[in-house]
This record gives sequence, structure tokens and C-alpha cells, in this order.
Amino acid sequence: MRRRAWLLSGAGVAGALIVGWGALPPRGRLGRAELLAGAEGGVALNGWIRIAPDGRVQLAMPRSEMGQGVHTALAMLVAEELDVALSSVQLIEAGHDAIYGNVAMFTGALPVQPEDSEPGRETRRVRFGRWVLAKLARELNVNATGGSSSIADLWDPLRLAAATARGQLLGAASLQWKLPVADLTVSNGVISHSTGERMRFGELVEQAARTPPGDVRVKPRSAWRLIGTAAPRTDAAAKSDGSARFGIDVRLPGMVFAVVRHAPALGGSPGAVDDARAMALPGVERVVRLAAYAGSTPALAVVGRSYWHAKRAADALEVDWRPRPAGAIDTGAIMASIEAAARDERAGFAFHEQGDAPAQLAASAHVVEAIYRAPYLAHATMEPINCTVRVADGKVEVWAPTQVPGMARALAARVAGVAPDAVTVHVTYLGGGFGRRLDVDFVGQAVRVALETGGRPVQLVWPREEDLTHDFYRPAGIAVMRAALDGNGRLAALAIQSAGDAPTPRWMERVVAPQSPAIAAALAQGGDLEVPPALQPALAATAGALLTPDKTASEGLFDLPYAIAHQRIAHVATRHAVPVGFWRAVGHSHNAFFAESFIDELAHEAKADPVAFRLAMLAGMPRHAAVLQRAADRAGWGRSLPAGRARGIALHESFDSIVAEVVEVSSNGPAPRVHRVVCAIDCGTVVNPGIVAQQVESGVVFALTAALFGRIDVDNGVVRQRNFPDYPLLALKDTPAIETHIVPSERHPGGVGEVSVPPLAPALANALFALTGRRLRELPLAIRASA
Amino acid sequence: MKLTVNDRPVEVDADPQMPLLWLLRDELNLTGTKFGCGVSACGACTVHVDGQPVRSCVTPAAAVEGKAVRTIEALGAPGAPHALQRAWVAHQVPQCGYCQSGMLMAAAALIANNPRPSDTDIDAAITNLCRCGTYPRVRAAIKSAAAELAAGR
Repeated sequence: MRRRAWLLSGAGVAGALIVGWGALPPRGRLGRAELLAGAEGGVALNGWIRIAPDGRVQLAMPRSEMGQGVHTALAMLVAEELDVALSSVQLIEAGHDAIYGNVAMFTGALPVQPEDSEPGRETRRVRFGRWVLAKLARELNVNATGGSSSIADLWDPLRLAAATARGQLLGAASLQWKLPVADLTVSNGVISHSTGERMRFGELVEQAARTPPGDVRVKPRSAWRLIGTAAPRTDAAAKSDGSARFGIDVRLPGMVFAVVRHAPALGGSPGAVDDARAMALPGVERVVRLAAYAGSTPALAVVGRSYWHAKRAADALEVDWRPRPAGAIDTGAIMASIEAAARDERAGFAFHEQGDAPAQLAASAHVVEAIYRAPYLAHATMEPINCTVRVADGKVEVWAPTQVPGMARALAARVAGVAPDAVTVHVTYLGGGFGRRLDVDFVGQAVRVALETGGRPVQLVWPREEDLTHDFYRPAGIAVMRAALDGNGRLAALAIQSAGDAPTPRWMERVVAPQSPAIAAALAQGGDLEVPPALQPALAATAGALLTPDKTASEGLFDLPYAIAHQRIAHVATRHAVPVGFWRAVGHSHNAFFAESFIDELAHEAKADPVAFRLAMLAGMPRHAAVLQRAADRAGWGRSLPAGRARGIALHESFDSIVAEVVEVSSNGPAPRVHRVVCAIDCGTVVNPGIVAQQVESGVVFALTAALFGRIDVDNGVVRQRNFPDYPLLALKDTPAIETHIVPSERHPGGVGEVSVPPLAPALANALFALTGRRLRELPLAIRASA
Repeated sequence: MKLTVNDRPVEVDADPQMPLLWLLRDELNLTGTKFGCGVSACGACTVHVDGQPVRSCVTPAAAVEGKAVRTIEALGAPGAPHALQRAWVAHQVPQCGYCQSGMLMAAAALIANNPRPSDTDIDAAITNLCRCGTYPRVRAAIKSAAAELAAGR
């Protein structure tokens, strides 16, 4: 492993930053009221909560709504603690203060074994590692919506902020009426007393701002009236009448449109351009050359009076497109290279080792070996990539459907040559994110074009073909799986060596590092750091926990819940030229396919029922066993099906939530037909079971699209899939019935937005094996099934 | 050229080749109708022309001259949403919401022509793509809106 790769891995960056912040005191996330000093006349009580004169509760919302329901669920936490109707919570823009940064997403980057992280029983390594990562997160201040972390991250800070505001409002009423706080009641934004005293929040807030909150405690579970209910989403009406405003819907006076045309080859660039024909078309203003921004391929943008005018001219450009200087990308060659890495027994970082798996495998009489493959995938958000920017009077205003507004601001400032404070970022609704909008390439492009439009705002839009051919793709991966079964058909030893590109270091390089002097310095040194002697012991202590390669590459393989005495789970981080990024469920999205298909193979090899085989290895993991059992029960596992149908099951933990899925399939045509998917989920404390069900359904459909059809191929440098006809999405007519069964839990909330994605592909492949006797070990399945 | 958009006569100076989608979005600022693929594959741009669902990204402006175009903005009336829009909220259909305008316009055309659509009818009529996987709820909402309209007739 090269030193540089170690340092740049998501967790490894902690090592770089420990140097700079040893003396910083920890800061709370309540935030000062000044953060929300607004012109609208409300009074802020902390960095999250402002009370409007009419009594509405204004909540600073740093997380992006991209379909996952987070604007509703986070507002519910505040409405609960302040005892107001959900409809009384109004979202306002959060700024860029560190209180809004996402800590949980970073602590989630620590590779841990499930049994080492039981609440209250975490190992020292886990506790310390999480503490260091939390410190790192606070220091980096990455406001990101991703990693299924929004509720987990803000569960405590938001409830605390609202409870603190409530304490101040109650204190103000108490002082005014000279009545004890304990005798006051709060309902619907009104504080009252049995004597008939009544005041609205809006009337009390001026005084509340000067009143200490007293002894702040969040409500006990037994007092909840909103959390845990399927409250309707607050955005449903606007998303049913066309009024919801996405990035692409921003309309400003004098606005012009820019259409992007990248070099066809990934990493290529435009050479000489003949724009005579394009410029002769009506409604066309100019052509702008776009460099590579935050990892993008260099491009041209054409500015015109409408998208259509600009697109027509972009198509008319005659360009001497240059290939990628280091050679054309070819996914066939890349897959061969990844496979060689997966098969190279001397390579790889062991994310988990226990017992002696190699020795057990060498000595076993019953070894099962298989190789699994998954392709590159595109995000294909329904809303095409876009960003609107106005540069005028030294100020930059950005309207962006982004998952990382702080990163968008940092890049906009660099491209425009202004200080970050001169940049305002408005986050619109996102027409899908799935990780694509954790990248900011399109923001840099839009700012660049806006520098040329004389102060007029410009909306930059990518045609769908640009989106599919110039994405940051879900990395392809290959895993060599080897297992030894003992004489009783039990899984005695498991060795997995997977290989593929690691997305986190690439993202840190192109998105996070440029805004952080500490990381930039580490990069400039080629990754070697001067660690002050006083900090060396601390760094050494964290090394085992933190200086590991990208956890996302191996997640879902190294942290299996099953009791397997001998394990060696290793990953080889390859480095190929296809740009890679985060895709819904990240590494879990393919690793669950590898692991849970192989476990199914072993069950059949052991002539055991796939559910019983798994349950026998889950004696020490009661939550996993309960989820698996619930899905099996609700699906009627073991009961007979009509002829020509079969079931398959898979179990997977990701983002601190456990999901099991049973897929019912038939195969009457060239492609498998999925009839029913039964899901059981334990995602800890549930804020809104309606949104949980929505997200489970969403992940199932998203994963079914990938499992059946999803693949990105690069031929001679160019991505072959260009639009939906070549990159099909599951259609309504092919969508199965989907059932969601929530296993109740009182644990800290886990993730929801991604967690139903991983088990779908293996459950489907396992069902197809039960149906046909053919084991499908390569995604996508549809073409393989019919081949 | 002249046409009617959402019951209002409109006169625009547009290139006859310009697709209706961009006429609506970029000339008339009716942004409820969405751009998804530009090749008539996803249905996000579905509007009604003389009551029939069309994919506006491949419908040239010349083809709608003198015709009546209806977009999501006028599917219901202010304060009086269409039965489908009420069903969309009741069934909590939207997630990211981006494809829902087109989904609703396709569904409205379906139940206008076929007041009690079967599953097969819905399968055939709703070919719009949704990346969030709202399809099961789209189906349920169409059925309940159709039932409500039928009961009210």
C-alpha cells in the first residue's frame, strides 16, 4: 500500500489533521443566536431555532431534501420538543457555521465489527476512533447530506436546540407571570397556566432571548406525540402541483442558459473549435471553455437565450476533441486488472482477521470457491445536472441542487477569485441525489460561465447524455470468495479478497481537500507528515483504528454479522481512470451481492435451508436474527409457491440499520419477473414510519434497476450508455409489490435512505438460483439470466 | 404564433422547431413541466395537448399552434386540487418529486379517457420513469382518485 493512499483514505485524513487541532476546545452544536440574525423580524434563540413574530418556528435547515424526506423528519424533531404543529415549522437557510457540519457521516467511516459497537459496550478502539473522527468532522466542517446520516447526526443536536428554546420560552413566561415553570403547559405554540394566563411564542420570544433555559431535558419517549407517527411529508403538496422549485426551475431576471458539451472521452479535452455554424444560429451568445473543475472532464459551454437555443448551438460546434493524454479508458481492460488484483494473494489490506482462515482453508476437505463481479454504475438522477449562478459587484450567488453547500461555496469562491464570504449558496430541492450531488464539478462550471455574462445570471444545464457519460461512477468491483465447510455443514472459515477503486480518497482529493489548508498541505508533501513529538503517542494509538484504507470499499464484507471462527476479509484498493464517486449505499451496494449470494451458495452446498443456515450463525446477534426471521415469516418462507415461482432471501446491515428482504420471482420470458419483495428493517428509533416505508420501497426499486439492467461500459475512452434507452430504469409495469415491516427498536436512529438497496440483488439472485438452479455471480442479472 | 396555455390565449415569438417543453419552461416560465431526457424516454415533460398526453420535449412548437396546452400548473385550480393531486398527497407518492408533474399529467389523461383503469391499463398508460421508485404508490393513487371521481359522478 502506497503511503499516499493510506493518508488520503477517508479515515486516514484524521492523521493529517490531528497535528493542527490538538489544542482546540470541543464546541457544542447549539450555536449562537447571532447565526440566525435575519432581516425578517424573527428572534433567534440559538443557531437552529428562530421564532417569527406570528409564532411560527423557523428552523435552520442545513440538510438537502432529495426525496428521502429529511426536511419533514428533522422538522418533526423540533415540532415535538417545542410542542407545535409540524405545519408551524418553517425551514430557513442555514449558513456555513461548523454546527451544521455532519459529524455522523464521518464517524460512520470507521471500520468496526458489529459486535464491537453495541451501545454502551463499545471497545476502546471504537470509542477512541469515533472521538477522533468526530473531532475531524468538526474541524473539516463538511455540511453533507449523505451516508444515510441526517437523522443519526441531528437527532440529539436538534432536539436539544428545540428543548433549549422551549426552556427559554417557558422561563420568560414564568418570569412575566411570576408562576413556576412546572405549572405551565405548552401546546400548539401557546404557553398557558390554569389561571388563564396565555401567551404565544411570538409574544414571549424577545424576553426568552434574554432568559436562561434552566435545566434542559429532551422529552422522554413516553411523552412523544409526533415522533414515531407517519406524519405526512411537508413537501408532498408542492411536489404534486408543480410549484416545488428544483435547481433547474430557478428563474431570474435577465437569466441566460448554458449547455455543456464535454470532451466525449473521459479525461479528454476540446482542442481547436470552429464555432462559426453554432454562432450563426439565433439566440446564441458565446462559447466558453471549461477547464476540469473538481474532477470533471474539460468541456465547452454554449450560452443562449434558452436551453434549446444553447443546445442546438452546442450540437453545431465543430471541435477537434483530444483524447485523454494518458490513454483511452477501457472497462474491459479495467475489469481484467481488478480481477488480477482480487486474485493476487499477496495484495490487499485485511479489514478483518480472526482465527487462521488460510490454514483452515488449506486443511479443509470441503472448500467452496467463487468469483463475483459488479460493474460501474451511473446515478442518473431524474433532474439533470444543473446550477445557476450570478456574479456581480464582487459577489457570487449560487442556486444549486447540492448535497454539499459548503463545498459548493468553496469551489465557487476559488473559481470566481473571491473570498468564501462573498459567495451565497441557496440550496434548492434536489431532483434526486444518490451521491451524485456530493460532487461539485457543475458548480465550478456554472461560476466560470457566469464570469462571462456581464452580471446576468446563467443557468448551466447538462443534457442527459452528458450526465450518463460524465458521471462519477459507482466503482466496479470483483471479489474472490473462499469458504471451508466442516463435517457438519457449518461455515468454518471464510476468506474474501475483493478489489476495486476506493471512492472516498478520490472524493477527498477533488472536493474536500481543496478547501482545507491542512489536507492541502498533506497532499503537497506527498502524504508524508511531520508529526510533533508530543502528538506521536496519540497518533500511534489511533493508527490501528484510523490509518486504514477506505472503509467504503470493503463495507458489507469485513463486518458480516455471522459467527465464523476463521475469517480473513481483505480488499485491494486499485486505482483506475474511470472517475468514481459515492452511489446509493456505496460499497454495500455490491458487497452485499457478493457476500449474501455466497452465503446462499454455502447453504445449498451444506444442504441447509438458507434461513436456517444463517440463523445458526446469528446466535450472538439477536437483532439480525429477528430481522431475518421477520422477513421470512411475513414472506411465508418455506410455504409452497405456484409452479414457476421461487423465493430468495438476503440479510444485510448498513448505516447502522439491518434489513432482510425476500424476493419472489418467476422467469417466464427472457428476463426475470419479480412479483413481490418483503422487507423487514430494524433502523433503531423510527422518527416517521411512513417515510421509512417510502425509502424502503425506493431502495428496492433503485436496486432492482441496478440488479437487472445497470452497467456502464467505457469503450475507447467513451461511455457507451448515453440516455435512458441505453441505461434503462425499472418501469411501473415491472415493479413488484413491496411490503415493509419495521422491527421496533429504541436504539439511536440508524440510516434509512440507502439501507434497502444492498439486500435486493442477492435476494433476487438467490431466488433465481432456487428457480433455475443457475448461480448468477455477475451483475447485472437480466442479460446473464437470459444468456 | 398563437396557442392556448392553461386556458389563457398566448402569443409567442418562438422558433417553430423549438420543442414545446422549452417554450413552456424558458419562454413562458412555466417550470412545473420537467426536462428529463430530451428523447421522449422518461415522460417527465408530459403535458396535455387538446386533452391528449404528449411528451413535450419532442413536440415542436409548430405542432401546437392554435391548440390548447395544459400543464401541471393548471391540472387543478388554486385551492381546489385535482382528485389525483389529493390522492398523491393521501398516498404520499412524491419523494424527490421531479418526475411527478409528468406522472400526474399522464395519469390525468388516463382517467379522463378511462374512468376505472385496470392494472393492465395503468401498466400500459404510465410509462413515465421514476428514479425514486414511487411506482407502487402511483398505481394506488390513480386507483383511489379514479374511484373517488367515479363515486362523485
